[in-house]
Amino acid sequence: MTTAVDPVVAADPTAPVATRRRRRGARGVLGLVLPPLAVGVAGLLLWEATVRLGRVAPYVLPAPSAIWTEMRGNADTIWQVGLASGANALVGLVVGTLAALLAAMLASRVRFLAEVSLPVAAALNALPIIALAPILNNMFETTSSIPRRVVVSIVVFFPVFLNALRGLREVDPIHRELMDSYAARGWTFTRLVRLPGALPFVFTGLRQASSLAVIAAVVAEYFGGLQDGLGSRITSAAANTAYPRAWAFVAGACVLGLVFYLATLGLERLAMPWRRAARRD
Amino acid sequence: MTAVELSGVGKVFNAGRGDEVTALTGIDLTVDEGRLVSLIGPSGCGKSTLLRLVADLLPPTSGTVTVAGKPARRARLDQEYGIVFQQAGLFDWRTVQRNVELPLELRGTGRAQRRDRAREMLDLVGLGEFAGHYPEQLSGGMQQRVAIARALAVHPPLLLMDEPFGALDEMTRERLQDELLRICARTGTSTMFVTHSIPEAVYLSDLVVVMSPRPGRITDRIPVDLGERGETTRQSPGFFTGITSVRKALRGPAAVPAQHEPATAVER
Repeated sequence: MTTAVDPVVAADPTAPVATRRRRRGARGVLGLVLPPLAVGVAGLLLWEATVRLGRVAPYVLPAPSAIWTEMRGNADTIWQVGLASGANALVGLVVGTLAALLAAMLASRVRFLAEVSLPVAAALNALPIIALAPILNNMFETTSSIPRRVVVSIVVFFPVFLNALRGLREVDPIHRELMDSYAARGWTFTRLVRLPGALPFVFTGLRQASSLAVIAAVVAEYFGGLQDGLGSRITSAAANTAYPRAWAFVAGACVLGLVFYLATLGLERLAMPWRRAARRD
Repeated sequence: MTAVELSGVGKVFNAGRGDEVTALTGIDLTVDEGRLVSLIGPSGCGKSTLLRLVADLLPPTSGTVTVAGKPARRARLDQEYGIVFQQAGLFDWRTVQRNVELPLELRGTGRAQRRDRAREMLDLVGLGEFAGHYPEQLSGGMQQRVAIARALAVHPPLLLMDEPFGALDEMTRERLQDELLRICARTGTSTMFVTHSIPEAVYLSDLVVVMSPRPGRITDRIPVDLGERGETTRQSPGFFTGITSVRKALRGPAAVPAQHEPATAVER
């Protein structure tokens, strides 16, 4: 008789059973993807049936098939303007995130700044920042991409700043005492304890920010400025009563938002391998 | 040389304010080299505070604290002690190995030596094969063993432990007690151990220091000599005698009802 001894249990009989590895098989992946996919397809079918059988006017709600036809016919344009909007969202996201992280690090070091900045940031966050777009558009030339990127940066700033500041300020008291016992302080403490400890918070903010960045980049175009992105196509198609085409660009914006969100998730997994390890087990 | 020496140590929190608390008063205590001294007493008796004074995580209000022949502050800066808390306090984002390496890293020890030393310590606590795991993948008992390995990584002459096994189940706890004794015997480390379990204090210690609250002070010192601990130690008469005397000491002055008050004064 052979008995396989689990090394974990052998080393510590009270170790949680969860420590034994269980890998997600091919069936597991299908099980994860299939249900939402099925719900999505069913939703589209229901939409199509409602529009056709209910004779809904296309300007109220076009059928998914009509939108799909428009998407295929305008694939090149959608790709081009999607790239333009994506570039605006990306530049704004990076700039806004860097500014927010620097500000959060500064605020977390200076007690006075932290106390003042939290309520101010929360109040500013409540403002519809997108409303700044027309003002910014007038500040720059009409051929400039800067206004839209500035709007994105400002929109991105707040969720990242608020979350990062909270993460930087929340230090486990045991970690504090431990680092005291090592006589580690200042930048060493920040580098070894504060920054890695704040990462999960930063990514919570970044996930919100990544979706907001795309929305801001698209919507900012509604208020003028350079018209080379998804926003301008949606408004002009709608103005020409080409509703299925407007919807096709909306679908493009939706895909762009998803790409940003998934990219952030991927980055999060890369940056925090310890979380993935804990979840896998 | 003595590992720890406290003379006339007192600690007052919020001195001069309405909520002033005398946490400790008139503490004289010596921990001889290679010995394990435990501090036991009801909550609020200042045993954790006392440990933090030795660790120089808190400054004393009066008296002097000497660790390894140096003032406590100097001893902390020289990493003359390792400390273990009730929670393991490992860093989630570091592997087990890198957690143990941390105190060495802060000392500026080279990479290769760091790795070897961490390996040695992990083998000592029986977790050599978990070096590459992350803390969240380990059970509570295993995490606490990593914390002990981390505390011992710089080969400190003194180990300070603040209810290190308090959050663990009885079985794990007893196994870790044996492991601690084995490690201390092998490395010659002196230990100050805070606990509120009477059997734990008796089983581990050469000396049990009984403390009492309001104000926190030492009320009794009970030497224990169980010799080499083994399977039968926990059933031995010596063990039970020790438990009885510590229990009596704990019930002593502080818990005695009001009519015995004069006896208390005599006791001091």
